[in-house]
Amino acid sequence: MTKRMAKWVSWGFLCLVLLVFPRVFGIYYSNVFVAFAIFAVYSLTLNMLLGYTGLLSFGHAMFFGTGAYTTAIALDRISGMPLLPVVLAGFVASVVLALILCPIVVRVGGTAFAMLHLAFGQLMYVLALKLRFLTGGEDGVGGFPIPAFSIPGIISVDMTNPLNFFYFAIAVLGLSTWILWFFTKTPIGSIMIGIRDNPQRVEYMGFRVTHTKAIIYCLAAGFAGITGSIYALFQNLISAEDGYNIMVSFGPIMATIVGGVGSFSGPIFGSAIFSIIEELTSRYTERVELVMGLILIGVILYAPMGFMGVMGLLKQRWLAARKVKLEGAK
Amino acid sequence: MDSTTAMYVAQGIHGLAYGMILFLVASGLTMIFGMMGILNLAHAAFFMLSAYFSYQALAMTGNYWIALLAAPLATAVVGVLVERFLLRKVHAFGHVGELLLTVGVSLVILDAVKAFWGTESLYVDLPESLKGLIHVGGLEYPVYRLFVIGLALVVLFIMAFLLYRTRLGMVVRAAVSDADMVNALGINVPLVFMLVFGIGTWMAGVAGVAIAPILTVFPGLADQMGMDAFLVVVTGGFGSLSGAFIISLVFGELSSYGVQFISALAPVLMFVLMAIILVIKPTGLFGERE
Repeated sequence: MTKRMAKWVSWGFLCLVLLVFPRVFGIYYSNVFVAFAIFAVYSLTLNMLLGYTGLLSFGHAMFFGTGAYTTAIALDRISGMPLLPVVLAGFVASVVLALILCPIVVRVGGTAFAMLHLAFGQLMYVLALKLRFLTGGEDGVGGFPIPAFSIPGIISVDMTNPLNFFYFAIAVLGLSTWILWFFTKTPIGSIMIGIRDNPQRVEYMGFRVTHTKAIIYCLAAGFAGITGSIYALFQNLISAEDGYNIMVSFGPIMATIVGGVGSFSGPIFGSAIFSIIEELTSRYTERVELVMGLILIGVILYAPMGFMGVMGLLKQRWLAARKVKLEGAK
Repeated sequence: MDSTTAMYVAQGIHGLAYGMILFLVASGLTMIFGMMGILNLAHAAFFMLSAYFSYQALAMTGNYWIALLAAPLATAVVGVLVERFLLRKVHAFGHVGELLLTVGVSLVILDAVKAFWGTESLYVDLPESLKGLIHVGGLEYPVYRLFVIGLALVVLFIMAFLLYRTRLGMVVRAAVSDADMVNALGINVPLVFMLVFGIGTWMAGVAGVAIAPILTVFPGLADQMGMDAFLVVVTGGFGSLSGAFIISLVFGELSSYGVQFISALAPVLMFVLMAIILVIKPTGLFGERE
């Protein structure tokens, strides 16, 4: 009972912190926080594939970019588009792209899966640069109107105000996080972990491995699309560099590895670590990628279980030490 | 030969030269994949590093031939060090760790290059003997590109000889098909791995030096070549040298004629070809495994 209470209290506390965050830290840091939250949830969707299903994708950016471009183009071309349908469009477009790729990619696993995604991701990048009439080439799509969040007749909130946008972004991303977390607790979530550990056995038990993979793949793609969509609204600009570049694919992988594969919250901590490092190093040097690369190498060499793994290890040691102490006291 | 035919022939040789350079990069990549089961994502970074080394060697000695010899060797040394001290240590953690490690190495090399040499284009000057045009039956063609084709052929023959006519080559081919069994037979497989990694990066290095005078040396050099080489490996079949060779030449011609006829969509052509081949045969043209 007390554990449950503690859980609700901590959730309430988190909500309170998020509520007062922009008032306390000001607009600059709340924008940094939105950027971090987008990246964190985007990394979570990648972890659905990498950590939970064991599928390494080097082209996850194509879903991020597709969501972002869909939102941007919809707002740019169609006047009077409301806010929520536009975000939903990002979700749907990414799911459609995933459905198109599904028949090809879910049959394979391991390195081939990663490499196919690298290729398709680059194809999307090249297309975004070349299909000028739709994507604006190198310039990207920018300066589109940001619609207000409105329920007709009841409420209308101006989204160009960074404070309002902060709450909107956090609400959408928080909801996405909750849905993803809930999904891992469903029976299909358990099958997904089974596929990671031993696909043959899951197949023998009568579950359809390829179908399950396809469902998870589309889900991860769709929520990556939502994060992309929020990103486009946040920046009011999307270009091939920000949407489809290969670094957009590698970023969440690094965050997941550094944070800890296999735990749900690992990517969030990984993203936090990366955001902090980027924020700090970019003040002193332009060589941010160099620092990131060195950190990645260091983590893979010395702490392949990532931040969450190290934390778990420390906790275990602490508990063991306490146990010894307690037994000594007896 | 009238001027239109001459143009087509020139484009064809252009494509051949690019295809040969592409093969130098892709063959190292596919060999390393065959042995270790990972695609070395830092391969293009080594290629670029070698181009910078050749610029540096040329600036220091003023002799192109020394640069041509020294830069790939220096690159190979870096490659061997990366294999020995980084890749080998994470081998036990499985492929994902190795792949990500090469990503990390590639990030470090790409950014370190910017820190050392800056971001602007650097020019590599050719010696007098390689400058100028060659005239054959109404066709004018730059000597240097023919030299590049020749150079690639020489490397290709050395590699073919090593692989198919020596004991070492036999061991390498055996290790490609079953590393565990070769290890069990008492051959030092980690050493062979290191050697293959070194030779692979050396070939990428030769390609880097060869391309430096044509494209100039700049940090973006790795992007295009890395992606093309990777496409070659995927399309030709992971670990297949003959597949890499054929696809490299096809891609070279495709990009050369593609730029001439449909320049806007030329970069997409290779992806289209890859997608068609992969849908028909998911392991690539000559690949036997995924």
